[in-house]
Amino acid sequence: MGAIDELVTELARLPTIGRKSAMRLTYHLLKQPTEQSRRLAAALTTLVETVRPCARCFNLTESELCAICSDPRRDAAIICVVEEASDIPAIERAAEFRGTYHVLGGRLAPIDGVGPEELTVGALVARVAAGGVGEVIVATNPKLEGEATALYLQEQLAGHPVRVTRLARGLPMGGDLEYADGGTIAQALSARRVMG
Amino acid sequence: MSLLATDAIVLHAFDYRETSRILRLATREAGVQSVIARGARRAKGGPGAGLDLFTSGRAQWMVRPGRDLHTLITFDATHARSALAADLGRFHGAAALAELLLRFTPEDAADTVFAALERSLDALVIADRASVEAEAIAACWALIGELGFAPALEHCAACQAELSPDDDLIFHHRAGGALCARCARATPGGRILPAAARAVLIAWRDGERPVLPDATHAKAHRRLLREFLQEHLEDGRPLRAFRAWDAR
Ligand SMILES: [Zn+2]
Ligand SMILES: [Zn+2]
Repeated sequence: MGAIDELVTELARLPTIGRKSAMRLTYHLLKQPTEQSRRLAAALTTLVETVRPCARCFNLTESELCAICSDPRRDAAIICVVEEASDIPAIERAAEFRGTYHVLGGRLAPIDGVGPEELTVGALVARVAAGGVGEVIVATNPKLEGEATALYLQEQLAGHPVRVTRLARGLPMGGDLEYADGGTIAQALSARRVMG
Repeated sequence: MSLLATDAIVLHAFDYRETSRILRLATREAGVQSVIARGARRAKGGPGAGLDLFTSGRAQWMVRPGRDLHTLITFDATHARSALAADLGRFHGAAALAELLLRFTPEDAADTVFAALERSLDALVIADRASVEAEAIAACWALIGELGFAPALEHCAACQAELSPDDDLIFHHRAGGALCARCARATPGGRILPAAARAVLIAWRDGERPVLPDATHAKAHRRLLREFLQEHLEDGRPLRAFRAWDAR
């Protein structure tokens, strides 16, 4: 495959980009000053080589610990569990939450072959078992699979002296956390209920 | 192109590109179908936005001859089943039912398959906690019956000889059910099926709901079911929901 075809193919794999747009982008890159394209290539390389999951919470970071875990003003006694790292900005926008996070990496989805081993459940239980955690807020999406995941986490944390709470309903039905507005999330957070 | 309107239940959903979702639906008229819900993940939504698994409703889409993926026009949800996430037994049972239909429903499936699914999901919603497990396993066997490959239980799967209800026998997945002693000797493999377990399978088939005595029995029944289905798959791909259910 030639260099042009190769780039078109790679770009076309990206969301919202069809083959036609990929072609347009490729020709645009060839027309713009070489230096600019080099900067794009370097940014991509830096991205894939330096961004990794936080050693504690699995949020995305360029350091050992993410910005939230390494912030001394954040309350490490409260852990908010989310499905994806992309859910964190939505909760941060609500500006209500001063605790820390834990990114599961998905939700239980039996048909897709996603079970507890595919998620970071073990690491969450280990964080709680290490002590110093008073509350785990389960903020998985308010859908069937998100609810089942919340139940599973409650089961796994049952033997530990920790309060397990769930975001209040009120998020758009079947909606994704990622798309909810700050006010709605703030409300769901403050009205959270103890599970079980 | 023509418009198709049908009762449907969401069996599986996954995100597609930036704003769409692909739904796999069990339908009353057309077996299992895949539709694309364009814009379903946009903030202001589109047809099929916010649809959760196991929701019933009336779906409409355009049928394009020769295409496998149709474009959803509307899905009017009539009945959500969020109570299937009330405990993990219900959740895994429902996921197994969905996987069973996704993998085994032929294109020309009878509408009785859809009716059986609807009944099973509703029964799973209201089952009391102690009987969820039996309800889910029984529902899977009922669907297998509707799909036309119920195992032989009262007559030998190989020679059709009548089987005594008191005998512990060999259940042979490939042969298609229980075997008489003579055929079992001639057919290597299979698993011992105690008389009591066979009686439970027969009762389930006949619509009764005997409760399983304990978790060990439930586990043995789940394993029998999974092995039977795995044996009947043409592509041999693993049954992931059944495996997850088994691992509980
Ligand atoms: Zn972190
Ligand atoms: Zn025989």
